[in-house]
Amino acid sequence: MKNQNENKDQKISRKDALQKIGNYGKYAALTAIGTYILLNPKKAQASSPEDLGTGF
Amino acid sequence: MTPIIVKNLANKSIVWFQNSNQYLVLEPLAASIVKDISQNKELKEIAAELEKELDVPFEKAIDFVIDLEEKIVKPNLEAITKENQPQKNYELPPSFEVTKSYAINSKCFTVHFSNEFEVSLIHPKFAHLETSNDHDADHMMKVFTNGNHTFFLMDEELIGSWSQKDIHYFQGKFSMKIIERIYDKPEENWMGVFHASAVGNKENLILVLGDSGNGKSTSLALLQAHGFHCIADDFVPIDHQKNVHSFPAGISIKKNSLQTLLSYYPELENSAEFHYKRLNKVVRYLPPSNINYQQKYPCKALIFIKYDKNIDFEFEEITPVEAFQNLIPDSWISQESENVAIFLDWFSSLPCYQLTYAINKKMIDKVGSILGDEL
Repeated sequence: MKNQNENKDQKISRKDALQKIGNYGKYAALTAIGTYILLNPKKAQASSPEDLGTGF
Repeated sequence: MTPIIVKNLANKSIVWFQNSNQYLVLEPLAASIVKDISQNKELKEIAAELEKELDVPFEKAIDFVIDLEEKIVKPNLEAITKENQPQKNYELPPSFEVTKSYAINSKCFTVHFSNEFEVSLIHPKFAHLETSNDHDADHMMKVFTNGNHTFFLMDEELIGSWSQKDIHYFQGKFSMKIIERIYDKPEENWMGVFHASAVGNKENLILVLGDSGNGKSTSLALLQAHGFHCIADDFVPIDHQKNVHSFPAGISIKKNSLQTLLSYYPELENSAEFHYKRLNKVVRYLPPSNINYQQKYPCKALIFIKYDKNIDFEFEEITPVEAFQNLIPDSWISQESENVAIFLDWFSSLPCYQLTYAINKKMIDKVGSILGDEL
């Protein structure tokens, strides 16, 4: 699988990169429908990491 | 049990896998193949249909189907993702150094902390809810550290334990337990909790999203100063009827926003300052006003906000797929399949926007017009 880096300059940053199932040579239609993004939600409720308490 | 859910979103499809709790964004044709594979349809049959549909040789079509099965379907169907199981063995400390009680929606939560570090994890954002009446606690919580783990007990039941690196999950679970109790809804009755600010009028609200540092909380504080209601900051709970509920934690105000906000909130001048050394951040907490625990709000839109001193004002619609990519990694979505279906239905019905601003008034006017039915 290949990672394809996204444009870093866009206004809202993308959390996960596009990935490809594979490359099917001249059969671009297959390569095109094999592009996907996998996203993982948080495994539990979380507060913002900025609220990590490290003392007063 | 539904192992996968497929939902169309604009020109793409979303597939959710129950076992792995992953969301896959892909082309609708590929999504229908994923669905066929997961329902054990013969791979050759699927490939034959793909051969016709795309006019490609059968060998290439079957390669593609096998790749999808091996790389996507199998790992997701076989995976089992669960919240970290807590360590069950713990020793209660001989004493608890600090006890605080909080009154929230006419319930009293009394929390025993074994030391100041644990107080610093919870107290700052709930300090404005502190009450001196701890005689009639509805719920008793205990927070203490054993070894490298922070333990959390509620009404003598172990809720969980977390290492330092996962401590934000402890804070999230603490907030979740409060939400469950003040609204009398167990976890399975919640669709999700979103890392956003919820701001509205009396009838409805918008969710303000964006990476940390983009100005969500500052925007919320500005909007509140102009008569809007702060419904929740940082932790926005939505139930399985798609209603947003209030969460009364303080709004965290970073040092670099203080100057802007002091003219609206002079009390910030003397409010306690908390130093988060590891993150090099100094924050104060602003109590939300107008918290109404009885009111449930429908969400009207998602706004990704960004304060940018070089851009006076920009407002544009963004694609639902772009918004989805940014929403999911920061959110907790219930893993109950009924709730996932509700979530996907909810999300696909919402307009999503990007708002970038340096001029506060323009941002405030725009939010007002969105809430007032401009869209």
